[in-house]
Amino acid sequence: MLRAAAPVAITALLLVAVPALVGGSSYGLRIASLTVIVATYAVAFNLLFGHTRQLFLCIGALAGGGAYGFVLLVRDLRLAPPLALAVVAVGVAAFGAFLSYVSIRRGFGVLFVGVVTLAVSIMFHNLLLGLRQYTNGETGLATRGVGFGLGNAPQEGYLVLVGVLVAALAGHQALLRSRHGLAFQALGEDELSAALSGIDVTRYKVGAAAVASGLIGLVGALYADVNGFISPSVFALGHVDIPVFVALLLGGMRTLLGPVVGAVLFSAVDEVVRPFGQLTVLTYGTLMVVLFLLFREGVVPAVQRVLLRAWARRLRARPTPPGVEGEPVAYVAAPRTVLPPEGRNTASEGGKASARDPSPR
Amino acid sequence: MTSIVLDGLVQGLQLALLSVGVVFVYGLGGVLNLAHGQLAVAGGLAVAILRSARWHPLLASTAGVVVAGSLALLLDRTLLRAAYARRGEERLLLGLILTLGVSFALDGFYALGAPNVALTLRMPSPSLEILGVRVRTASLAVGGLSLLTFAVLLAFLRGTRVGQAIRCIIQNEVGAVLCGVDVERVRTLTLFVSGVLAGVAALAQGFSSFLGPEMGTEFTILAVIVAVVGGVRSLTGTFLASLLLGLVNSALSYTVGTYLTWIVLLTVAVLTLLVRPEGLLAYWP
Repeated sequence: MLRAAAPVAITALLLVAVPALVGGSSYGLRIASLTVIVATYAVAFNLLFGHTRQLFLCIGALAGGGAYGFVLLVRDLRLAPPLALAVVAVGVAAFGAFLSYVSIRRGFGVLFVGVVTLAVSIMFHNLLLGLRQYTNGETGLATRGVGFGLGNAPQEGYLVLVGVLVAALAGHQALLRSRHGLAFQALGEDELSAALSGIDVTRYKVGAAAVASGLIGLVGALYADVNGFISPSVFALGHVDIPVFVALLLGGMRTLLGPVVGAVLFSAVDEVVRPFGQLTVLTYGTLMVVLFLLFREGVVPAVQRVLLRAWARRLRARPTPPGVEGEPVAYVAAPRTVLPPEGRNTASEGGKASARDPSPR
Repeated sequence: MTSIVLDGLVQGLQLALLSVGVVFVYGLGGVLNLAHGQLAVAGGLAVAILRSARWHPLLASTAGVVVAGSLALLLDRTLLRAAYARRGEERLLLGLILTLGVSFALDGFYALGAPNVALTLRMPSPSLEILGVRVRTASLAVGGLSLLTFAVLLAFLRGTRVGQAIRCIIQNEVGAVLCGVDVERVRTLTLFVSGVLAGVAALAQGFSSFLGPEMGTEFTILAVIVAVVGGVRSLTGTFLASLLLGLVNSALSYTVGTYLTWIVLLTVAVLTLLVRPEGLLAYWP
């Protein structure tokens, strides 16, 4: 058990140490906060897309819903911040569950879920612009002093965000180590087989969507508090969904620490190319293509494989090493990527003569 | 009233030009091309640049369309090969991510290389009087261009052996292979055609208002939504969906504001999907 908790604990320690490392620079702390936020979104997206194959392209909209909902509840309806946070998280979770349920009921495949959620996120964006009397349109809302007042205390704000991320990671790990973990694993690999072996696919998918959306909404609300300012463009597709998607791919889908590693790497790249303005978009795009063609499984699985190989070599050298037979690296040891390495599907069927996609839905 | 309907029809035709290419590539290759709008922008920007170099409008337009087609061809011969090596959902996902990456790379490239280039094609006279209705000549041009393109496209699909092969693959890829159709070659050709259609759509956009380097994503989203509403494999369905959304769009922009128009438009699209997940027409005509 202790060994299993180590990755999350080490991550938590490293993240908590960041403010000391950046030496109280508010810019460094801000970047760190944004990285943690992207990582938390990516944990949620991992559950949605990695484990249950629901391509929600409305992470920004869900987060924005949480943020605007929180601010309006606290500012206009004078709700206590903790209560407002709970209301917002539950509301966004319910919305995510609704989207997921409708998609399953209507038999939408990955593609249709993607298109419907994309439509939802554009609708949300236009809603924010249209409801100017509440949202202040493109100008945005100043949220400093609204809510918990974390905007005036960046250190505390950062630690709260880290707390949420670590809780999400621990929850993710606990979930996958529990009885339900196997069901999620099966679902991620083959939905039909999972259903045939008695897994209630609808329940798991809707549940995953609810939990992930709730987490996204919660973090969105905290973002409003920490950042001190929200506007439609900070929750736009290109500002939230794409970084989260790239971070998850970079780190490794269906791994515990993939979202965190990916978010950190993404932030590092972002910092390097930021001074070049428009070059950032070009870099993201090129990075996405190159990574996905050459390095499909992500950083975490690749590192794990190298470590496992080294470990195996050591095992072979010493027949009975003490303390190794304990718990293996559990589910994180050999994750299957959504897109298997070249030749896996094509070897038997032949890519050229393959049957075409059975259904668009 | 008449002008609203006419405007809607023209917008619908323009949408159809944009989305037919997406439908083609998806129906044939099982790849949803998320860089389709960026292909259109490539064509449009090429025309604008050539126009400023004092090329003849017709020559510049042709060159622009060829540029869009060639870019699509390049995409097919390089990146999409990796996607085509897989099948079913794997192919769809890989295609989705690769083309999304390409769309960002192209967007960044345009913003970097041609930030101030915009395409506008002006007609000699701004409007005409036909049967007592004032019509923008630009609308006539867009309508004519679209109808001509669709006529050529239909003739190609119905009348030629290659067109037959394309319809054959859309119905059943394995069957087509068994009948001796070279799927890979037809797929490459289709991607080229979709690029050309994107180029023509860019010209239409240049006629009706203007085309800037940042419009790729908007084009892609519109094209994908229309294609999905129309049933991702059906040309006629796409056509109907385009006209429907064009009419809704023009009626709403006239009565309510832009923001609400978008919301209603997307609601219509989502509702259509909920009622008929196969799209308006599920199969090829």
